[in-house]
Amino acid sequence: MFRSKKKSLEVERRVKANDREYNEKFQYADNRIHTSKYSILTFLPINLFEQFQRVANAYFLFLLILQLIPEISSLTWFTTMVPLVLVITMTAVKDATDDYFRHKSDNQVNNRLSEVLIDSKLQNEKWMNVKVGDIIKLENNQFVAADLLLLSSSEPHGLCYIETAELDGETNLKVRHALSVTSELGADISRLAKFDGTVVCEAPNNKLDKFMGVLSWKDSKHSLNNEKIILRGCILRNTGWCFGMVIFAGPDTKLMQNSGKTKFKRTSIDRLMNTLVLWIFGFLVCMGIILAIGNSIWENQVGDQFRTFLFLNEGEKNSVFSGFLTFWSYIIILNTVVPISLYVSVEVIRLGHSYFINWDRKMYYSGKATPAEARTTTLNEELGQIEYIFSDKTGTLTENIMTFKKCSINGKIYGEVDDDIGQKTDVTKKNKPVDFSVNPQADRTFQFFDHRLMESIKLGDSKVYEFLRLLALCHTVMSEENNAGKLIYQVQSPDEGALVTAARNFGFIFKSRTSETITIEELGTLVTYQLLAFLDFNNIRKRMSVIVRNPEGQIKLYSKGADTILFEKLHPSNEDLLTLTTDHLNEFAGEGLRTLAIAYRDLDDKYFKEWHKMLEDANALIDERDERIAGLYEEIERDLMLLGATAVEDKLQEGVTETITNLSLANIKIWILTGDKQETAINIGYACNILTDDMNDVFIIAGNTAVEVREELRKAKENLFGQNRSFSNGHVVFEKQQLELDSVVEETVTGDYALIINGHSLAHALESDIKDDLLELACMCKTVVCCRVTPLQKAQVVELVKKYRNAVTLAIGDGANDVSMIKCAHIGVGISGQEGMQAVLASDYSFAQFRYLQRLLLVHGRWSYFRMCKFLCYFFYKNFAFTLVHFWFGFFCGFSAQTVYDQWFIALFNIVYTSLPVLAMGIFDQDVNDQNSMDYPQLYEPGQLNLLFNKRKFFIGMAHGVYTSLALFFIPYGAFYNVAGEDGQHIADYQSFAVTMATSLVIVVSVQAKDLSDLRLDVRAHFQFSGFSF
Amino acid sequence: MKRTSEICPSRLPDNSALKQQQLPACRLQLSAAGVLSGFFATGAFCLGVGIILILSAKSIKEIEIKYTNICGHCAKLREDATNFDKECTCSIPFYLSETMKGNVYLYYKLYGFYQNLYQYILSRSNSQLMGTDLKDVGNCAPFSKSHNGTPIAPCGAIANSIFNDTIILSYNLNSSIHIKVPMLRSGITWWTDKYVKFQNPSTFNLSSAFAGTAKPPYWSKPVYELDLQDPGNNGFLNDDFIVWMRTAAFPTFKKLYRRLNRIQYFVEGLPAGNYSFNISYNFPVTRFKGEKSVVLSTTTWSGGSSLFLGLAYTVTGAVTWLAAFSMTAIHLMLKDRTKLFIEQ
Repeated sequence: MFRSKKKSLEVERRVKANDREYNEKFQYADNRIHTSKYSILTFLPINLFEQFQRVANAYFLFLLILQLIPEISSLTWFTTMVPLVLVITMTAVKDATDDYFRHKSDNQVNNRLSEVLIDSKLQNEKWMNVKVGDIIKLENNQFVAADLLLLSSSEPHGLCYIETAELDGETNLKVRHALSVTSELGADISRLAKFDGTVVCEAPNNKLDKFMGVLSWKDSKHSLNNEKIILRGCILRNTGWCFGMVIFAGPDTKLMQNSGKTKFKRTSIDRLMNTLVLWIFGFLVCMGIILAIGNSIWENQVGDQFRTFLFLNEGEKNSVFSGFLTFWSYIIILNTVVPISLYVSVEVIRLGHSYFINWDRKMYYSGKATPAEARTTTLNEELGQIEYIFSDKTGTLTENIMTFKKCSINGKIYGEVDDDIGQKTDVTKKNKPVDFSVNPQADRTFQFFDHRLMESIKLGDSKVYEFLRLLALCHTVMSEENNAGKLIYQVQSPDEGALVTAARNFGFIFKSRTSETITIEELGTLVTYQLLAFLDFNNIRKRMSVIVRNPEGQIKLYSKGADTILFEKLHPSNEDLLTLTTDHLNEFAGEGLRTLAIAYRDLDDKYFKEWHKMLEDANALIDERDERIAGLYEEIERDLMLLGATAVEDKLQEGVTETITNLSLANIKIWILTGDKQETAINIGYACNILTDDMNDVFIIAGNTAVEVREELRKAKENLFGQNRSFSNGHVVFEKQQLELDSVVEETVTGDYALIINGHSLAHALESDIKDDLLELACMCKTVVCCRVTPLQKAQVVELVKKYRNAVTLAIGDGANDVSMIKCAHIGVGISGQEGMQAVLASDYSFAQFRYLQRLLLVHGRWSYFRMCKFLCYFFYKNFAFTLVHFWFGFFCGFSAQTVYDQWFIALFNIVYTSLPVLAMGIFDQDVNDQNSMDYPQLYEPGQLNLLFNKRKFFIGMAHGVYTSLALFFIPYGAFYNVAGEDGQHIADYQSFAVTMATSLVIVVSVQAKDLSDLRLDVRAHFQFSGFSF
Repeated sequence: MKRTSEICPSRLPDNSALKQQQLPACRLQLSAAGVLSGFFATGAFCLGVGIILILSAKSIKEIEIKYTNICGHCAKLREDATNFDKECTCSIPFYLSETMKGNVYLYYKLYGFYQNLYQYILSRSNSQLMGTDLKDVGNCAPFSKSHNGTPIAPCGAIANSIFNDTIILSYNLNSSIHIKVPMLRSGITWWTDKYVKFQNPSTFNLSSAFAGTAKPPYWSKPVYELDLQDPGNNGFLNDDFIVWMRTAAFPTFKKLYRRLNRIQYFVEGLPAGNYSFNISYNFPVTRFKGEKSVVLSTTTWSGGSSLFLGLAYTVTGAVTWLAAFSMTAIHLMLKDRTKLFIEQ
């Protein structure tokens, strides 16, 4: 944020270890951080500047300046000054306290000590004095001071473990390993001090999982990637010490680069409000012009003669100029139609609603001690207008607690239990689970009901051995022993955990790993495999592999991954097994299980060496490295031998079915976007009632080319409409009339339809010319399930609906792959669950269980929307009633911009006289209680149709305000005209009139707040009051 | 996550009525009978009040005589400001056909005089009128200082434009005997004005207290010589002055000028007969196309009110009843229909 321009142009970073002089040339930022915005001196100017950038504040400042011009100042300056100063001060105080805490935490962070190698000695140095190129020693459980290149550590092979909770919220340990050349340095201070490697790497950026660079040292180059880097904000765990060289410091670190860039979402009501405020401003100008013209005429006809009574000097008889001044005077007087307090009140109300969400015990999940959290406080009323929900499946609908259920090994299925009749049934309680007690390392919570697998192991089936060995070797799990000597696995993905645990219970126990070896216990004997290469998982590859050399010296590639991908890589000899396994996989998927295919390949020593050489070369590249590496991975992961498949169960969360049923009743369309297989997705769809058997038709779009997809979409549509409409006339006609047609068509389609589309087809369907077809079809279906989609596609789908349907969307998810969709939708909801915290960090609302979504939308959202709409209608009404009286009075006071009320009354009307009832209404009002809104989801629909506050409602409110102002002005006018008190005194004076009007206004408006508008009590209250005033 | 879950109990939100949105609330359960009876009751109340107000307004006797045209020669004279020192009187005879019983009040009424103009209303100095600081002429410009720089007391456009006609009512018993109707010039101001908002500077001698100030340019006499008969009715405490300073809300207004002193012939009020107003015409109204009139009026408990308020109440009452009747009709019809529905 505060980087100078010069530095932001940095394209490449060049850092030399232990050479501050060299590094100083580049003027890299040092390790001092400023998250604070202001200092004592700059606070006032900067903060005021920021505040007056808001249109509302600037507008009121403009009014204030107008009021300071004596010729046109019809109101004294304090009427605007008081609320403006109040608002500005409140915001400033809030900003100041925020900043004070930031200063405090900055100071605390900047003054943390770390051991830095200076002048060949380890010295304690404050964080803020650490410079790029310094070598730092970290100890266990210490925070990392800057982005470091790991040089060496206490663990063998330069391994170290870090926790990245502060960065991405994930609490599992991650492993980093140093280059072998540097890990040899160990803790030898003198050698470390002589280390003079130069790192050339990318410029500072905010990508947490990417790093590219090259270390040049002793005439050789070593490529660096994310595995060698420890980022600021991490905590060193399970590692005695480690040394690292500072590459990015302070504001350049990835932690700091990631902070503070939150996209500001606005609600549709916000936007409507801004439009309305503009309209009102136009209305204000019109009134000003009318009154100004009136003033010109009056001045011309009456005022000129009357002038002698007012002014000693009879000069400046310019009625046009007088009209011009009057215009501005009336702009000032009538500005209260859009009072500052509107903006403040809206914020206060939203804040209140957010707190209600945070405080709701019914959205508190005791299982994880997680209350719901409104992370954004400005979107609440939009929760009451949701039309589309885009939901992730894993971890959102399901618990994301994986249990190994079934497997298919070499064409044989395990895990199914045949009962007496021979029917395959699921596990029931009467079956005894496999007894793992012989295995002391077994995980007690693991249960498996098929004894045949254990028997196969006992029989020594080599394929089964290989299968389990693969499960124990091919993963990213980290192991550690707890105090009781028990093996604990640190897992990044629950699937892997389930598989490794299963292997463990069946006797293939993963013990430990280093960067070059993996040790497992195979049925009681310890075997150490040499880890030759690790081909990691990503969303595009959808598979991972390890290449290991077993003690016998054979090199093997073990691979596991999505079946569709892996099956393409199989050796042709697997044909028979493939068909068998595919059947099994479909069966698994049909039961809603998550499946992975398992395969291996024996590698030739020479071939592997060549390949490894190429990999190392590719790694040293800077340009196109990723592409090259991907190509190499592709190259070696072929001719695989199929072993079998695994099936892991992910249970549906509690209450998901009811929630989805209720949300559908509330006319919310639910789309599931998942990375799972089509069968799994469909099955989950049935399980949670998104898909039902009474649906008229379920369209499945699974074309592989654009033409196929288009054809399938067209067929589905024809199916949907019957033969009534022909689609042969192409899309050109469509695109233009899309929206009109849709609304008509939607009504004509009867019955429930569902659309299932896979990632392949979606990629084609999202192309511009089929997009409309897809959208049209999808929107007419009750349910849409997109499977095998990438995170980017998720966001694209959301964007599509958002853009072309003009509907309010909500995306809910729990994993890093949902972040793009969460950020894209109008409202993003994060499930604080198993898969880390990235989704939550990117979200606007978060809670622990999917079922709370029902309460969030149907209760909190509905109330928020309802309250906000009521508040806005009322507020505009109130201020029209309040302000227009001046307009009517203008006709009786020669358009001289005389106000009807006392100046203080005008200044305080909105913030004192009428603020509390309306705030209370906006915060607490409940039209129906929470139970009823849950029981009758139909009550949600007014929000979706935007019925409670729209332009029409606004005009009704405005007309009502005009009417009230007429009554408020003309009834007292009639009553006061030519009247005398009971003792004959003159009571039709300006002051009495002003007080009467003000009092009636407060009464009328307060009574109105009670929403008795139907009874039209206002007029009556008014009469009574007029009566009392005598 | 791990660490937070260890301190889990504190994360459970409080079970208070506020936080769980369970605050007690009362919801109006409106039944048809309740609403209808409410409507009828309010309607009845408004009708009652309206009728009473109309009756009481009817009982008021009022006579108004516009004298701008009757005293045309004076009006002409006053149009030219240079004639300010020429006196002009005018007599307006009239016949009172009925006795005006009870207290009778004499008003002057101005048409088209904008006492509610923004610049006009502001043009006064309250601290000067309170007697605290005679030199304080705050908002009074351009009537704040005289030509030689002395502050004007009372300053400002309101004070400067004071209504300065003198109205004397005579009772003509016959063609030769004219009795001057006794009038009180006290008790015509608001109590708060007389005793709080307006105070003379606290010196024994008024003329010395006002030394160093100038009279408003349109005034013929300084403020301490407004009432030569009653020395207590001078300075800022002059009743006519105070009445004028209470600015009217609308361009047409009447202000209390005198009260009838009920002695001698006038114990009962003003007897019927021939009267005449003798007006010394000073206040120019034709310049701004305005008019002046004198008003004699009685009051009732509801004040010297016009018919408007009574009519407004009556109309509201009538409309409410109309609404109530139609709602009753609709209610009865729907009731039958729902019954039918249930039976079917």
